[in-house]
Amino acid sequence: MKIGLEIHVQLPTESKMFCSCPTTDADAPNTHVCPICLGMPGTRPVMNRKAVECGIKLAKMLNCQIPDTMWFSRKTYFYPDMSKGVQVTQFDHAVGSKGVYHIGKKPIGITKIQIEEDPGKTKRFGDKSSLVDYNRAGMPLAEIVTDPDFSTPAEAREFLKQLITDIRRTIDLPGDGERSIRCDCNISVGIERCEVKNVSGLRNVERALTFEAIRQTKILKAGGKIERETRGFDEERGVTFSVRKKEYESDYGYIEEPDIGIFHIRELADSITIKESHVTMAARLSKEYGLDEKTANQMVLTSVGLAELFELIVKATGDVQMAVSWTRGTISANWKAFEASGKDPAGISEILVRFGKGEITDVETDMGIKSYMTGKDAKTVKEQNADLEHIIAEYLDAHPEIIDEMRKNDKTVNRVIGHAMKETGGKYSSSDIVSVTKRLLESKL
Amino acid sequence: MTDISRISALNEKYSIFARMADDPKTDSEFLFSAEDNLTSKDIETRCGSRILDGHRPVFDAYVIEKMKAYGGELIGKTNMDEFGAGSFCTNSSFGVPKNPFDMERSCGGAAGGSACAAAVIEDHISLAASTNGSICCPASFCGVFGLAPTYGRISKFGLVDCSNSIDKVGLISSDPKRIAEFLPVISGKDARDPTSCAQPPLELKGRKIKTVAVPKDALSNLSKDVASCFDSSLDALKGMGIEVDTVEMPSLKYAQPACTVIAAAEASTNLASYVGMRYGQQDGDLSLKFDDYFTSVRTEYFGEEVKKRIILGTFVRMGEARERYYMKSLKARHLVISCYKKVFEDHDAVLTPTMPIISPRFDEISMMTSAGSDQAGRLTAPPDLAGMPHISVPCGYSGNGMPIGMQMVTDHWNEDPLLTFANDWGSVFDIKRPEVTL
Amino acid sequence: MNKETLTRVAKNAHLAFSEEDVERYCVSLGEMINQLNILDEVPKEEAYVVNPVEIADILRDDVSGIFMDPYELLKGMKTYENYVRGPRLL
Repeated sequence: MKIGLEIHVQLPTESKMFCSCPTTDADAPNTHVCPICLGMPGTRPVMNRKAVECGIKLAKMLNCQIPDTMWFSRKTYFYPDMSKGVQVTQFDHAVGSKGVYHIGKKPIGITKIQIEEDPGKTKRFGDKSSLVDYNRAGMPLAEIVTDPDFSTPAEAREFLKQLITDIRRTIDLPGDGERSIRCDCNISVGIERCEVKNVSGLRNVERALTFEAIRQTKILKAGGKIERETRGFDEERGVTFSVRKKEYESDYGYIEEPDIGIFHIRELADSITIKESHVTMAARLSKEYGLDEKTANQMVLTSVGLAELFELIVKATGDVQMAVSWTRGTISANWKAFEASGKDPAGISEILVRFGKGEITDVETDMGIKSYMTGKDAKTVKEQNADLEHIIAEYLDAHPEIIDEMRKNDKTVNRVIGHAMKETGGKYSSSDIVSVTKRLLESKL
Repeated sequence: MTDISRISALNEKYSIFARMADDPKTDSEFLFSAEDNLTSKDIETRCGSRILDGHRPVFDAYVIEKMKAYGGELIGKTNMDEFGAGSFCTNSSFGVPKNPFDMERSCGGAAGGSACAAAVIEDHISLAASTNGSICCPASFCGVFGLAPTYGRISKFGLVDCSNSIDKVGLISSDPKRIAEFLPVISGKDARDPTSCAQPPLELKGRKIKTVAVPKDALSNLSKDVASCFDSSLDALKGMGIEVDTVEMPSLKYAQPACTVIAAAEASTNLASYVGMRYGQQDGDLSLKFDDYFTSVRTEYFGEEVKKRIILGTFVRMGEARERYYMKSLKARHLVISCYKKVFEDHDAVLTPTMPIISPRFDEISMMTSAGSDQAGRLTAPPDLAGMPHISVPCGYSGNGMPIGMQMVTDHWNEDPLLTFANDWGSVFDIKRPEVTL
Repeated sequence: MNKETLTRVAKNAHLAFSEEDVERYCVSLGEMINQLNILDEVPKEEAYVVNPVEIADILRDDVSGIFMDPYELLKGMKTYENYVRGPRLL
């Protein structure tokens, strides 16, 4: 089975790709429109700088080759939502090509990434005609095309999940609904492939692909032939359905887009540094600090901010082991509250510097950090801690075998957590329990 | 007779305008006209096509805006070949302009109405677009001056595109001084058209042309009248102290086919926006499936020559034909540009007749094939394809009194010497104006 | 140009031709295409450019604004509750 994806990401610009119309949600249809995005005769597109920058960032994120010069192409096809009858997109001089992106150890080839404009939106009007809203027409998109490198729908989903996280971070994409990521899924079980258009959401991608895999397998088993076609996905029923015979790329009759000119992007590309992706960051942490992969991943996935704090602590104290222990324990446990507070992470590393110098005990350090992170006063924290610590310590004393088991299987910690939960009857948040348990266990290990 | 009523009468006689202004101001400093592919807020803009019936643009083209700001009054939108498809301005749905030197003959195209206006209206200046000789051809047939400046010299905001990588906005007038006066008014960078933003400043300093190159191949297959007028003009040039060399420019032979391909390919994509929605004709039956609806509207309202260009343009960019025709044409353009640049290393300009023939009669045109009329543009296609500035100046009259023009081409951004030459030429050459009786 | 090609291209270009039309267009377009054969001589390796003069790096800043009343723009269009009316989709 071969699966390839085409992922459409709306780029987070304020204005559309070629005109100044806002990209925000409009109150009514056709109110964020102008002669340019309505394709009125005599208007011409002027390229949005930010869209080019975003395209370059994503190309870098996907380890693509970025050409010295890129330009746009015109794809011509007829549909009511196409205000100009043509879509400005990129064909063979795209912002990036031949990239690679890893899920775990598996490399996924990135055929290319192109910048293009979105068409408007259509809806049926009774059975007789249609209604078109051009508010979306001209929104800037990046289309990421992967090689057919996925061998299962689950793998495609895993890829998308990781990719979306990375994209959001790389171009500061907000996570709201309208801007969600749309995906075209290409899948072939035999030779001919089908394309399921416009699937949104991770779960739906996996569902659509799984349905298609089964459908195609059944046809082939029965001795049938797969038709090359474009299919749609019915989210409610979880089935794909035929929309039309697939057009071949050559039918779009691409020409070079003559209205916009060309872009020498080498310098711009060199000057742009992108934020490290989650995967790269985890890999780097693991390499630089000798963390095991799991710990590094966990830290980054909890929050990049957490991982950054970890690095800050290492820098301040020079003690990786201690930094890991506190980051995974108390700091992780209170991360959510801390993130919401917007406080300076340096405050935490300062406490740990004092701990490192032996100025404060580990209990004081724990309370100090907790108090700083949650904003609760030291006394409350102290009382809660004492109570909780007492219960857990008693349990560990009563079950010395747990310490041995812990050495073999770190999931044993769940038993302790379970006990503490039961004993405290919801008085403490589970994150508190986890952190105290881990700390006490680690001190005994 | 007031100016306006005289112009109305001229329009009656020569079919100059697709639409005249309803109620033009009479106290403006000057009157001007514009080809009907330049958008105008106050006057319907239809590009010679019924598919744009009723289209009232919401904005003035940059050039119209500039001319108005300079004190001008837009008197009307001139007739043109539908979306620029044609060489003789006979493919307009709103009247075929008649040549003021012989009413049985064509004004040339695509901007026939603009050249006609320049020929018959006193002190007139007309804005037009040049794609495949569509300024120089009619200027030559009507015995006036027509300047197509460098590609990107004048903003195309508001030009309804035919071929975006070739189209240039330019000027037609019977007086070269008028062209020199208005070129600075309408040129310059315009943030609404990226292609206008690459230009160096326009400097009109009276630079002179000292050497011209005449490509040898351009002199074959000329009509007798054209050949002899061109010969005498070369003598006149020498008399002005201009050195004339004959040169080989072998790549120019690719220009006309490449121009045809690129123009058709780009036009076919531009014309994809005309589907009976949003603007122009919208009276189709919306209960048809969209493919059928679009097909019915386009089939009904596009004229025959436009349909041919759409088919040709779609054909040359699809499948295997794309490489053979479209991509080859882009490469041919590169060869043509290099060929010019080489000649400009030791010559100031390239000179040819503008058209190989005098203006044909309408009955002759009706017998011509599309391929044949394309051929007529073989001398004007090279500079348009290469984005070079070129001017057509009257240079003689045939035995039956029809005007003949010659075309001077200079390197990119060198409009200055063209205008200097046109002005000097105006004092050497005895320009005849058509006799107009109303 | 043969009938099949013309029909295929016409379908793509959303134009319809009657039987007579098809013949006439095939002849006329055939002549036009024959004139293009000289392009075969252009070397495949030749470089090419998008515009005849270089138009490079023309970008606008990402600033939003509406400069024309969208309701004015819709005036000339067939609309329904501010939607633009279009033909049937399926």
